[in-house]
Amino acid sequence: MFDDLMKKYGEVVFRKNDRKSPSAELDDDAESLSCKFIYSQVPAISVVAVEMAKVASDVKAADIRVLFVKPLVYWTRFFIIATAFSRPQIDAIGSRIRDLAEKKYGKVPSGDAKPNSWTLLDFGDVVVHIFLPQQRAFYNLEEFYGNATLIELPSETQPPFHT
Amino acid sequence: MIQPQTHLNVADNSGARELMCIRVIGASNRRYAHIGDVIVAVIKEAVPNTPLERSEVIRAVIVRTRKELKRDNGMIIRYDDNAAVVIDQEGNPKGTRIFGAIARELRQLNFTKIVSLAPEVL
Repeated sequence: MFDDLMKKYGEVVFRKNDRKSPSAELDDDAESLSCKFIYSQVPAISVVAVEMAKVASDVKAADIRVLFVKPLVYWTRFFIIATAFSRPQIDAIGSRIRDLAEKKYGKVPSGDAKPNSWTLLDFGDVVVHIFLPQQRAFYNLEEFYGNATLIELPSETQPPFHT
Repeated sequence: MIQPQTHLNVADNSGARELMCIRVIGASNRRYAHIGDVIVAVIKEAVPNTPLERSEVIRAVIVRTRKELKRDNGMIIRYDDNAAVVIDQEGNPKGTRIFGAIARELRQLNFTKIVSLAPEVL
């Protein structure tokens, strides 16, 4: 039986015919790793990330970056980094994003419940960081994840914020 | 298995070099701390000209232990040293970067900030 197989395929590693495109494979990957988001409703997780960034910009968060970090770290796929200028504003951004995730995708984040100078919301595949300007410069997450791909935000033409 | 009087390395760039555990946070009379537990520690050795000084009392999260960590899938992780990361009362790390590998259990224990600063997550 094995002789037939050996004759047919030889000693080369056989490549399956049902290969998908890399992006589709990645989606499958994440789905099996953490099937938290309801995938039938969400076509791609990047849409969710961009939507969350939009909500943050509605509450006047500055310098919003959406980073695709999946190639760098295995434990999440998107980072959203934003700056807020006061704790009440951090609270507003956090609760808006929380509401969106809960109502639309039925997902409750882990992370900080109270507004903090570095507030982190962990949705599994999307991790949201909201900083005060001072902390953002101190931890400098963008530099640490400098190799990550920056996702373009649609209709977002605000100038970057510099302290 | 970290208990009072255990000396630990520091796995971040906060400026402390060596800590000594003086209390395990949790239940009263708790004996040992493992990966992901918060301890109160005193700085035994510090890098000169940094915000943290010798004999300062701080809080720290344990990130590596020589005692093996068991996972449900049968995987066992044992590090070469005992190491901790200095945090403040709010849970933000005092350093800006973490050194060495850390375990993914920290994320489940709500230390995602430490995980996101780490170069390698096991």
